[in-house]
Amino acid sequence: MTAPLVDIADLVIGYDTGMRQVRALDGASLRIDEDETLAIVGESGSGKTTLGMAAGRLLPPEAKVIGGSIHVAGVDVTRADDEALRRLRHDKLGFVFQNPTTALDPTLRIGRQVALAMGGRPPPEAIAELLSRAELNESERILRAFPHELSGGMAQRVVIAMAIARRPHLLIADEPTASLDASIREKVMSTLGRLRAESGASLVILSHDLRMVARHADRVAVMYGGRIVELGSVTRVMQAPAHPYTRALLTAAAGNERPGERLCPIPGTPPILESRCEACAYADRCAFRETRCDTERPEARPFLGREVVCHRAEAVIGAPTQARQEDR
Amino acid sequence: MRLATYLLPRVLAALVTLLGVSVLVFLSLRLLPGGYADILLGPFVTPEARAVIAQRYGLDQPLVVQYLRWVWAMLGGDFGVSMVTQRPVIDELLRRAPVTLQLALIALVLALAVGYPLGVLSGVRAASRRKRRDFGRVIGAMGASVPDFVLGSVLIFVFSVWSLWFRVGGYVPLGVDPVGNLRTMLLPGLTLSVFGVALILRTTRDAVLRVMTEPHITAAVARGASPGAIIRRHILRNAAIPVVTVVATYFGFLLGGAVIVEVLFSVPGVGLYIFNGLLNRDYAIVQAGVLLAAMVFITINMLADVLYALIDPRVGVSR
Ligand SMILES: Nc1ncnc2c1ncn2[C@@H]1O[C@H](COP(=O)(O)OP(=O)(O)OP(=O)(O)O)[C@@H](O)[C@H]1O
Ligand SMILES: [Mg+2]
Repeated sequence: MTAPLVDIADLVIGYDTGMRQVRALDGASLRIDEDETLAIVGESGSGKTTLGMAAGRLLPPEAKVIGGSIHVAGVDVTRADDEALRRLRHDKLGFVFQNPTTALDPTLRIGRQVALAMGGRPPPEAIAELLSRAELNESERILRAFPHELSGGMAQRVVIAMAIARRPHLLIADEPTASLDASIREKVMSTLGRLRAESGASLVILSHDLRMVARHADRVAVMYGGRIVELGSVTRVMQAPAHPYTRALLTAAAGNERPGERLCPIPGTPPILESRCEACAYADRCAFRETRCDTERPEARPFLGREVVCHRAEAVIGAPTQARQEDR
Repeated sequence: MRLATYLLPRVLAALVTLLGVSVLVFLSLRLLPGGYADILLGPFVTPEARAVIAQRYGLDQPLVVQYLRWVWAMLGGDFGVSMVTQRPVIDELLRRAPVTLQLALIALVLALAVGYPLGVLSGVRAASRRKRRDFGRVIGAMGASVPDFVLGSVLIFVFSVWSLWFRVGGYVPLGVDPVGNLRTMLLPGLTLSVFGVALILRTTRDAVLRVMTEPHITAAVARGASPGAIIRRHILRNAAIPVVTVVATYFGFLLGGAVIVEVLFSVPGVGLYIFNGLLNRDYAIVQAGVLLAAMVFITINMLADVLYALIDPRVGVSR
């Protein structure tokens, strides 16, 4: 068996914030294969961005890797020197950020920025061809524009074009549609999916919108409290979630609410960890909680064709469902 | 947005400022003890002689009338006549302006050449090491807090004792002897530039630190751009935006306010002329000099606003 494209093992990352340290990742483990789309979902603060940025060691200086390892395309990311990292980012990785207008240099014309992303002085046809792959027409006008002159959707397509310019093996998109109009989210997601399929790269989508990303992904990883709590194929996980948090996420966004109707949010708030969690981080909010959940840290285990971090997976999967499965 | 609509409010604000400056300089001169008569005729001046002088220069009129006459004459292009030399003030000012301009340019070039690169370096270092107390901070704080006259006096002392190549005083026009000119102008230029170095260094450093946390820099790092390329292509340009404003203010200050240094080093520029005018209570000189300096200052800042709009497309002046 060949080594996976990404192998993250037991990763622990903390942010130094003056007085205390916030533990954003508390033993996250994840493998990503070649040529797949993986969705990583979780509420705000669950550690998605930290995990995604860690893959390219793009974390801010206050972030400290406390334990675990990250291997991407054969590079030991936590140990590699600056030049090896730069090569890895340059040759193998592509990033798409949440807010496209701030991800572009406000003082440079789009044409210049795209050219820089392509590695200097590409012929004009190559630039136009790249933009059209990202479904941007009118490339003349766009190339002459400054970032603030583009709509959010266009700017995000430019960012996507720049991310695929050097044919990365791994494309990491952090909430790529969160700042866009609802009407174009699906289209931008489809573009990303199409580009991935054409290039045979792997795509990681970080999002809090489980239903939306599930339509575009092969596998889904659910994050909670800085760990991956359930990881499996989209079909399996969505049809029969084995982690109570996944189950709650699906109920919260059942997809059958009418416009204007409020979603039922998951009661309680996600934890902010300061040290290793010695219990189940979700216990406080969990309907399936038992004594063990408060005293014993659950470890990842294989369960019905997926991996789950829950003492009560058997009970969760057997429980009657309310609002699930409607739109798949 | 059109350039005109961008500039119009600024022009209006400038006019209001000039009005304020004119009132201020006019009043503060009148509030100073003594007048031209005391200077001209000495301490034992008789009331009669004083009255003759006052009448001759219209100083016997009510202040409002004096002020309005002055402003009215200026609107007609007449900036007044020096009581001491009986020559039009504007001619004297224009004759000295190139000297002050040269001094200002020397100080500006020195300040930019030292302050900007050091600011970038210090900002990049501070950002990458998360260490906020580096040399940039120290130089910035020191340079900004040493007064011109202290630094100037030290330099004069040092270079009077060991002349080295420099010369203290003994101004020679640039056109007559370029090398001799530089020998006398470099020390005052250097004195003036120290504050500028500190100012530009600090502004640049803060701007660089701010730019480095912007997402588009992370995006460039994520694309695998080399640190040198990121600094050259993204940081320098973005960090220049606030620096432009500060440099313009500094340059305006140099053009209008190099009085102390010009006096200290006997550089026959506008500042020395205004200073002497003040000593002689030669009202026309000080009034016209200060007002013109304010005008230059405001114009420079307005130009900076335009330049700012050219560097930062978001400000949005169509070109
Ligand atoms: N620069 C930082 N300094 C301090 N704490 C941080 C920093 N960045 C993230 N954190 C903390 O780390 C935890 C995980 O944050 P992260 O941004 O990875 O979550 P996320 O899942 O991406 O959330 P979101 O949906 O809001 O983007 C949060 O508790 C957050 O407050
Ligand atoms: Mg995030």
